[in-house]
Amino acid sequence: MNPKRLLAITRAGIMESLHFRLGIFVTLFANLIYLVLVYYLWKAIYDSSGTAVVNGMTFTDTMIYLILATALFNFLEMFVVWDMSRSIQSGKIVLDLLKPMRFRKYTFWSYTGNHIVQFVLTFIPTFIVVMIVTKGAIPIGLNLVWFLIATVLALMINYNLEMLVAPICFYTESTWGVNIVKETIVLLLSGASIPLAFFPEKARMIVQYLPFRAVYDIPLSILLEKNGSDTWHGLLSLFAMQIIWLAVLTLAGNLFWNSAVKKVTVNGG
Amino acid sequence: MHKRGLAFYASIYRKILIQDLKSKMSYRADFIISTFGMIMTNLAGFVTFMILFHNFPTINGWDYHHMLFLYGFSLVALTPVQCFFDNNWNLRFMVQSGDFIKYCFRPVNVFFYFISEVFDVKGLGQLAFGIGTIIYAWIKIGIPVTVFVIAKLLVFLLTASLFMIALMNFAAATCFWIKGSGYVMVIMFRFKDFAKYPSSIFEGIFKIIFTFIIPIAFIAYYPSLVILEPSNVPLLSWISPLYGILFVYLSYRFWMLGVRKYDFTGS
Amino acid sequence: MNEYSGNEAVVMKNVCKDFKVLNRHEGLKGSIKDLFSRDYKTVSAVKDVTLTVNRGEIIGYLGPNGAGKSTTIKMMTGVLEPTSGELLVNGKVPYKNRTENCENIGVVFGQRSQLWWSLPLIESFKLLRDLYMVPEKDYEGMLELYRSLVDIEPILHKPVREMSLGQRTLSDILAAFLHNPAIVFLDEPTIGLDVSMKAKIRELILGLNKEKNTTVILTTHDMGDVDALCKRIVIIDKGTKIYDNDIEHLKNYFGSYRTLKLKLSDDTWEEYLIDEKTTDVMDVIMEKQKEKKIKDVKIDEISTEEVIKKIYEGSAK
Repeated sequence: MNPKRLLAITRAGIMESLHFRLGIFVTLFANLIYLVLVYYLWKAIYDSSGTAVVNGMTFTDTMIYLILATALFNFLEMFVVWDMSRSIQSGKIVLDLLKPMRFRKYTFWSYTGNHIVQFVLTFIPTFIVVMIVTKGAIPIGLNLVWFLIATVLALMINYNLEMLVAPICFYTESTWGVNIVKETIVLLLSGASIPLAFFPEKARMIVQYLPFRAVYDIPLSILLEKNGSDTWHGLLSLFAMQIIWLAVLTLAGNLFWNSAVKKVTVNGG
Repeated sequence: MHKRGLAFYASIYRKILIQDLKSKMSYRADFIISTFGMIMTNLAGFVTFMILFHNFPTINGWDYHHMLFLYGFSLVALTPVQCFFDNNWNLRFMVQSGDFIKYCFRPVNVFFYFISEVFDVKGLGQLAFGIGTIIYAWIKIGIPVTVFVIAKLLVFLLTASLFMIALMNFAAATCFWIKGSGYVMVIMFRFKDFAKYPSSIFEGIFKIIFTFIIPIAFIAYYPSLVILEPSNVPLLSWISPLYGILFVYLSYRFWMLGVRKYDFTGS
Repeated sequence: MNEYSGNEAVVMKNVCKDFKVLNRHEGLKGSIKDLFSRDYKTVSAVKDVTLTVNRGEIIGYLGPNGAGKSTTIKMMTGVLEPTSGELLVNGKVPYKNRTENCENIGVVFGQRSQLWWSLPLIESFKLLRDLYMVPEKDYEGMLELYRSLVDIEPILHKPVREMSLGQRTLSDILAAFLHNPAIVFLDEPTIGLDVSMKAKIRELILGLNKEKNTTVILTTHDMGDVDALCKRIVIIDKGTKIYDNDIEHLKNYFGSYRTLKLKLSDDTWEEYLIDEKTTDVMDVIMEKQKEKKIKDVKIDEISTEEVIKKIYEGSAK
């Protein structure tokens, strides 16, 4: 694959996202309101608990975690499943599959453009605001580099999760159902709606080894130097987990995709 | 010119609904998967709730069972928006592709015609889940069961649902002005997750915003106080039905204004 | 259904429609700049169009892509409000009386079906009957008329989503006429259809127009549609009306034009459009003969398609 062409697709993706300028501002504003809600809820929760530290998390820790998780969630949000089902129902999928570049690659790189815009427009401002409000509670150092690497891996894992679910659209028209199941599972088990630290011991043991955690919890743990990521051993084992899941999901996604596409060609779309 | 009154609209809605249900029967797999999805979201919501209470026994003075009641209340209040107004989710795509224009060629109210097209059965699973939760909490708290209390419950559940309908109308209609506003709906729908917590947690300016402008406080908190604290009902709870009607009306006007202002360049 | 008794179905006087669009810049840098730009420009989609359509007429409303055809239709159907000028449909201002206007019009928008996707056609018809409050007798009469014009039985009980494109278009046209509207707008009704289906659809439109005296405003790029259906055509380009007259007149207008077809020695046909006022046909033949041997010669009148092309080209200059 010609890297120049990939760059062109990414660039087009960036420009397309920027096209919706009011949409971007409204999204930023809506996110802000959402964060205010999160703030008040957890403030009340901590105020009522009577202790400052719950399961090793202070109020500030929890807030930083949840705010950044939300920012990460927005930045990683993909609509592959939706796009795909629309494209299948309208028959456009046949054209997509005929494009010179493989459909999945094309989707990935054009979303990368979108991700870059979202990262700059949502994640970085959120990060800066959090830094100012908490007066520098986020450690600054090598962890930022590790975080970026973990985020890129998370992005790829997230994409592969989407791609694992998307071919289901070839079999059923129930996109809503498929999508909501995926979203619910990812949101809950990745720690995006409630930090994994609050999960009961046994549940945490299981969730820890599932791929969903690799999307939100691992990058954030690395950024905040939690979960032993401040040691080489801990850091490497987190990365190892991301890489293993990435490999497994890519493989599974490939197999599933290929067999699903075969079905399309047989049915003629 | 034919006069089209409430009776006309009711009869048309009934007919479209019957046809819609009939055609839904042909998508059985879709129904099963959607229902499964609905159960999953509700379970996930419930699990989140349980995890929270596992760590924190009370929130702002509200204990487990009172919170559970509020939770069930918010679920039931969500049912109408999910069952009857689900087509709002498709609005953005229709507007973008230009398909929306077809709703403007019929001699009936555009909003009605658009909304009537989809009746969503999957909301019913949530209704059952919500009712179960309310009954359980009701028994545990020991609220007396009288006709009057149940009547109040129904009225205020209906009230609460008005706010969710209005919010989603507002959110959906943004697409007439803003390209790429899909996220507004997503996040507005996520706001509802905060309806199940007592709104006394908000302070200052945000108390006003979340009460009157983005009325999350009315989706469960204020209406349910009528049942939960009958001796100490705030004024806002009593006026919530009126405010709900006003809010729905405003959202409807906003939606229709969008239709008028939109230049239909999609085609 | 219709209380309006005037002879004009549509009256447009100096109608204009402007849109405000953001002046976009090129490239990635431009995209970032656009994020904060307030640089709007006004685009006139329809400029000062005056037009009268009489009851029972079938007019072809033509123009290249982006000429302002669909903007005009959208104004006539009451979806868009004219920026300035006067527009009356069945004697009423459509934008101010959208619902009322809709009772007296029918619309078919190309490949975009307006029927309920998963319902059998007959159920869609019944719903439309109720929506338009068509009396049972009129409804039955209309179905009777449909049966006499086309074979509707095979599609009547088929869900729209399972129909072929031709069947879907047919259904959409039937649905548009069902409430016996005064005017029907047809936007590209035969696009993507095969020859026999095209003929069938044209025949149906003519039949309905004759039986019900329905005004038909047809926009199309298919000159076959125009030749088969329209007596009068209106051409619009870049928002301005550039032609409005009978189709016959149109040919007279370009009457000095001939299509010269030459069959060359290698059995291929070559075509030349010649204006007899400026060029002599014989000269062209002689000239060609010097290059290659000519086996056969045909001289045809100019086709509608070529006339329209000429007009578009003329307005582009």
